[in-house]
Amino acid sequence: MSSAGAIAERDVALVDLVDRLLGGGVVIAGDITLSVADVDLVHVSLRALVSSVEKARPQQP
Amino acid sequence: MIELLAITDDPAPTAAPVRIVPAGGLGLVVEPAPHGELDADALWRRESLLEELMRERAVLPVRLGTRLEDAAAAAEAIAPRRAELAAALERVRGAVELSVRAAAAGAPAGADGFAATAEAAHARLAAHARASARHEGPELLRAAYLVDRGDVDGFVVTVRDLQHEHPGLSLLCTGPWPPYSFTEGPAR
Amino acid sequence: MNGKVLAGPLDGDLDPFARPMPNLSNALSRRIDADPESVEQGLAQLVLTIVELLRQLMERQALRRIDGGGLTEEQVERLGATFMALDQRMEELREQFGLTAEDLNLDLGPLGRLL
Repeated sequence: MSSAGAIAERDVALVDLVDRLLGGGVVIAGDITLSVADVDLVHVSLRALVSSVEKARPQQP
Repeated sequence: MIELLAITDDPAPTAAPVRIVPAGGLGLVVEPAPHGELDADALWRRESLLEELMRERAVLPVRLGTRLEDAAAAAEAIAPRRAELAAALERVRGAVELSVRAAAAGAPAGADGFAATAEAAHARLAAHARASARHEGPELLRAAYLVDRGDVDGFVVTVRDLQHEHPGLSLLCTGPWPPYSFTEGPAR
Repeated sequence: MNGKVLAGPLDGDLDPFARPMPNLSNALSRRIDADPESVEQGLAQLVLTIVELLRQLMERQALRRIDGGGLTEEQVERLGATFMALDQRMEELREQFGLTAEDLNLDLGPLGRLL
């Protein structure tokens, strides 16, 4: 195969790979990282926030 | 911070810098969270890593960019889903994911007249797979198939047969991939 | 990298399947960049995201209460009107900080998407 052919093959395979990486796989609850000038400062776990909010709500009949 | 790459059924260790964190019979595949922009080489490196693990274990890949504070946080995040993940690992054991995309040859993707052909192609390919999943995309067909390792060659032959039977349809088959499209329960 | 293409078109033309690579930064675990020039916007995004999350939780709980019965017509009407007003207020706040609904639409994994 020509090197141009190999590059084209690599390009289309990359499309399939990226689709999988971004749209597939197991999903753990999303997190937020608050950063300033590329320095990660605060890491907020939404899963923990949601479960703590759910627990804090008074039980209704 | 660590990045969670995959979940496996085997907590045995693997080569550094990747660590396998045992968690209730499962193994969490983690590495130190990478810094800076991702490029294609980094993605291919990650892919090779998962393929290497897949040689010997059942592997469920995790979505790109899943970061947690440390191994303990990862184990805690996984704990409530342990049974569901164990079941998913069983569903993919011994199989790989193959990707197929179909476009109208010599025309922009999505041209009319080939929709039925693409449907028929999908049905025929699905018959050679344990499971299949269709995805959104500009092509006439964009699908993933969970194929037993031993059936991969036969699947590829089917793709080539379909290609010869329908020269107006351009088919592209890539793989093998870790089972990105088959990590959820059957209702997907 | 070993070849991943197992079968391709007869004419060898892969163009229909090529596509520019998307910006991966946006797809990763959400990073809110509170850079020195726009700290306010970054913080606003974080705050509004949490407000939106809480608003959705409250709305879901209200619906459960409404479905469960035991509320007077007046209470149901007030709940409905309140959530409509909250929804509108959220929209105004988003506009004020130049944020779209998509900016707040976080993927909570097993909990689904926020919006």
